[in-house]
Amino acid sequence: MSAAELDFSPAERSTEAARIVRPSLSYWQDAWRRLRQNPRTMTSLVIVIGLLAFTLAGPWIWRVDPANQDLDQLSIPPGAPRSAFIVEPYRAWTRSAPVPGAGLRLAEEASTQRVRLVWDTREDSPAFEVFRDNYPPTATALGIPLGEVLLSDGLAFEDRLALEPTTYYYSIVPVDADNHLLMNARETIKVDVKRVITLEGARQRGLIAEDARMQVGDQVRLALHPLGTDYLGRDMLARLMHGARVSLFIGIVAPLLYVLLGVAYGSIAGFVGGATDQLLMRFADFVVALPFLLFMILFKVLFGIGPGESGIVPMLVALVILGWPATARLVRGQILQIREESYVSAARLMGSPTGYLIARHMIPNTLGVILVTLTFAIPSAIFTEAFLSFIGMGVAPPTPSWGSMSNEGIKTMLVSPHELILPAIFISVTVLAFNLLGDGLRDALDARMRSVE
Amino acid sequence: MADRPFWQSMRALALLAAAALGGLLLLMLIIAYFADLTIVDDASRGAVDFENRSISIVIEQEPPQMDSTRATDAVSGMLLGHLMEGLLRYDGEGNLQPGVAESWTVTPEGAVFKLRENARWSDGKPVTAHDFVFSWRKVLEPETASQYSFILYPIKNAEAINLGAMPSEMLAVTAEDDLTLSVAFEQPLAFFDRLVAFTSYYPIREDFYLSRDGRYGADAEDLLFNGAFVMTKWVHGAEITMQKNPYYWNKDSIWLERIEVPFITPDSNTQLNLFKDGKVAMVQLSPDTLKNALQNRWPIRRFAEGTVFFIEFNHRPERLTRNLNLRKALYYATDTAELVYRVIKLPGFLPGASLFPTWIKGEHDFLRREYPVGAHPVNVELAREHLEKARRELGLDEFPPLVLLVGDTPTSLKQAEYFQNTFKRHLGLDIRIDAQIFKQRLEKMTLGQFDLVAAGWAPDFDDPLTYGDLFASWNKNNRGFFRSEALDAQVRIAQGSLDQAMRMRAFGEIQRILLDEVAIIPNYERGRVFVADPRLEGLIRRTIGPDPDYSRARIRER
Repeated sequence: MSAAELDFSPAERSTEAARIVRPSLSYWQDAWRRLRQNPRTMTSLVIVIGLLAFTLAGPWIWRVDPANQDLDQLSIPPGAPRSAFIVEPYRAWTRSAPVPGAGLRLAEEASTQRVRLVWDTREDSPAFEVFRDNYPPTATALGIPLGEVLLSDGLAFEDRLALEPTTYYYSIVPVDADNHLLMNARETIKVDVKRVITLEGARQRGLIAEDARMQVGDQVRLALHPLGTDYLGRDMLARLMHGARVSLFIGIVAPLLYVLLGVAYGSIAGFVGGATDQLLMRFADFVVALPFLLFMILFKVLFGIGPGESGIVPMLVALVILGWPATARLVRGQILQIREESYVSAARLMGSPTGYLIARHMIPNTLGVILVTLTFAIPSAIFTEAFLSFIGMGVAPPTPSWGSMSNEGIKTMLVSPHELILPAIFISVTVLAFNLLGDGLRDALDARMRSVE
Repeated sequence: MADRPFWQSMRALALLAAAALGGLLLLMLIIAYFADLTIVDDASRGAVDFENRSISIVIEQEPPQMDSTRATDAVSGMLLGHLMEGLLRYDGEGNLQPGVAESWTVTPEGAVFKLRENARWSDGKPVTAHDFVFSWRKVLEPETASQYSFILYPIKNAEAINLGAMPSEMLAVTAEDDLTLSVAFEQPLAFFDRLVAFTSYYPIREDFYLSRDGRYGADAEDLLFNGAFVMTKWVHGAEITMQKNPYYWNKDSIWLERIEVPFITPDSNTQLNLFKDGKVAMVQLSPDTLKNALQNRWPIRRFAEGTVFFIEFNHRPERLTRNLNLRKALYYATDTAELVYRVIKLPGFLPGASLFPTWIKGEHDFLRREYPVGAHPVNVELAREHLEKARRELGLDEFPPLVLLVGDTPTSLKQAEYFQNTFKRHLGLDIRIDAQIFKQRLEKMTLGQFDLVAAGWAPDFDDPLTYGDLFASWNKNNRGFFRSEALDAQVRIAQGSLDQAMRMRAFGEIQRILLDEVAIIPNYERGRVFVADPRLEGLIRRTIGPDPDYSRARIRER
């Protein structure tokens, strides 16, 4: 049979035609691809990265000492006005010059430094009670009772109590000999208080340059507090940034350590198996049964953490020592399962050494589980830190943490809600973001879900 | 098609979650509804009840000690003030009124009290002079370990008995007969009548005390009363009920039939809400609740409570604060006006300048007018100079952190953080804050585990000596171990002299020594702001004695 007898000849060997493959994707590339498709996870990833930037880079940009107390701006909400007039330093009132006019009147212009009132006597009242109100007084409510002025002290009163740049209604009520307030004889004036600061004070706070030529009556702008201040005039933004350091430090370092510990412990138990496995896992069960709070307190004592010192290290130790069993159990389960897989048996039959088995087959196949455990451990650790600081077991003042800030904020919740809401939002958003990220990572890293699209 | 069951299961899960949430909400509504039904009877009790002559109040903590020989705190003192009566008592204006004693004579050497015949215990038996002898001996016996034993020291042999050198039978207090009590003094004394209204001087009946077998004061049935009210119910940590004492000799002056204490909470926001809901007749306001009260348009009342607060130093040899220049540095760096007006922010507070409060009476006028001190000086430059001197004297390169011991209330913590920042900013000193509950703070003060401590002193009786002997070397409350022979000598004059002018001069000297030696940094005199139910009349707020005092209160009929 010659070649010409045949109508066909062998085709050119082509490698192209049979190759119906998609581009090769590594495990990580595949995971990342699926992660990207999940908008929820991507949002939380952006939030987590943003938080890290807020914590690490924030203090470099917003260079404000979180412990500095700006007593001119206590508990101010975000975006409060902040212009102030320069005045002379406070001097005790000598009351030398008589004040023209009649009735209840101001002796000097009212400022946040002091409000000085004088009035004339009308009836023979031995004393007067002075009130200050933020609202127009009613028949019964005159506001805050500031003090009593005896006739013998002279009919004048100086108010310095927590003056805010707002409108006050001052009232004086004569008091009769039996200590009854004569409400009908009261007098009220409306006083607009302007915000002031002394030249010295402005210099100390760095509001104006040392050599700036400023005079009494000039206007300056007080320190900027973008998110307001707390009850001692400390900058909320700076405190949130520094508080995040503590929260995220505990939140990331503790889980990292105990997950590592758990992985090592669990893989040994799983790989060795037998009696060793039993022994190791029963010990893990024992650790699970230990109460966390009690150990936290014990470690605090053991570490010699005295009063007023930070309890962060014992908190970290307690978290690591008591946190690992969950990871260890999970990893042990995985290893036990993988050990019996046919590809592992095949590799073993082909003479792979143990080290190769672990590095090539065991770890890559448990990595997904480990990573997911880690991302779920982070929010729970952050929450634990916040809780412990909230009950006063964590950081020592003046170091802020989100938990201790919430604890302080809750006391003034009704009057200045921003002091509670801001740290609470940060805790909630962080915990939520890490949880969603962990959720997305689980979906992305789980090999069994590869075909599920 | 593996994806469909998956998404279906997800949908099912979402539905389940929604159903669970809805169910939970419904459950909460139902519970809230039933809870409302069950407290109807509670709400009718209300803050004031005219028909039943009953009021409800809130106290900030469970009374720690209802045994009058050992009580030290304000809550126990307030309750005991309603339940017990001493020989004399203070009225609403702070004047002494006859109590169990009908009449009395006080000479420099001793006092004789005539007891009234109709004074009765709550079981109907008469109150006799023996009951006073028994309780006063009890206070002084070393086994009782009363922290207030020193208040009985003016009585002859009292100190020796307290130190265990003499049996308590040697106390120079004798019941001449059932209705006559005579007292001999250790040294001439001018103000014994002002002491006997104090808690530690209340009577206790011996047979009842012994029948309780060491449980006296532990429960409502372990107490016997001779005051205006009797305690009929005491659920520890939860509630207390007091009812008018039918055997009280002066029961006609008592209008109220019942005082209920259904709430025990230190939280000022909770207290305010209780008042808002009409559950309690009076609440104290804190800086946080003051604005809220203002918004609610309640008539706010003020009362200069007069307790003096100060920073006490530890003068023990091993402590840095023993160094005068260091103390001066801290003293000049403190701005008490800023503390009061910017940090504490409560009306009625006065910036401190001395250990002696402004209201305490001297010879003719107030002591502080007779012996004036200027306002607290603030001088940061001077403070830094003193700090530098102290650093050289102590041979230190850098100061180690100082421990500031404070109470755990929000106000004291706020104050502590303010001081921490002030000393750091002006002097570069690190302060560690040690916040402790009252009992623990006292314990740590006694053991000397502090450098600085925020302390306060409420007056026990109406004489400058209640403050004057506080820093005498032998006083147990001098927990910082301040020692000054000059001061001790002045205290002896103030205790022993009968010449008022000379005594006041001694107090002036004590005041000067304390400021010169910087034994303390005065912080402030406390004020109180409160709101009370408008129908409640005759509520007594006082500086000395049980405060607040509801015993003479009445309710207006609408």
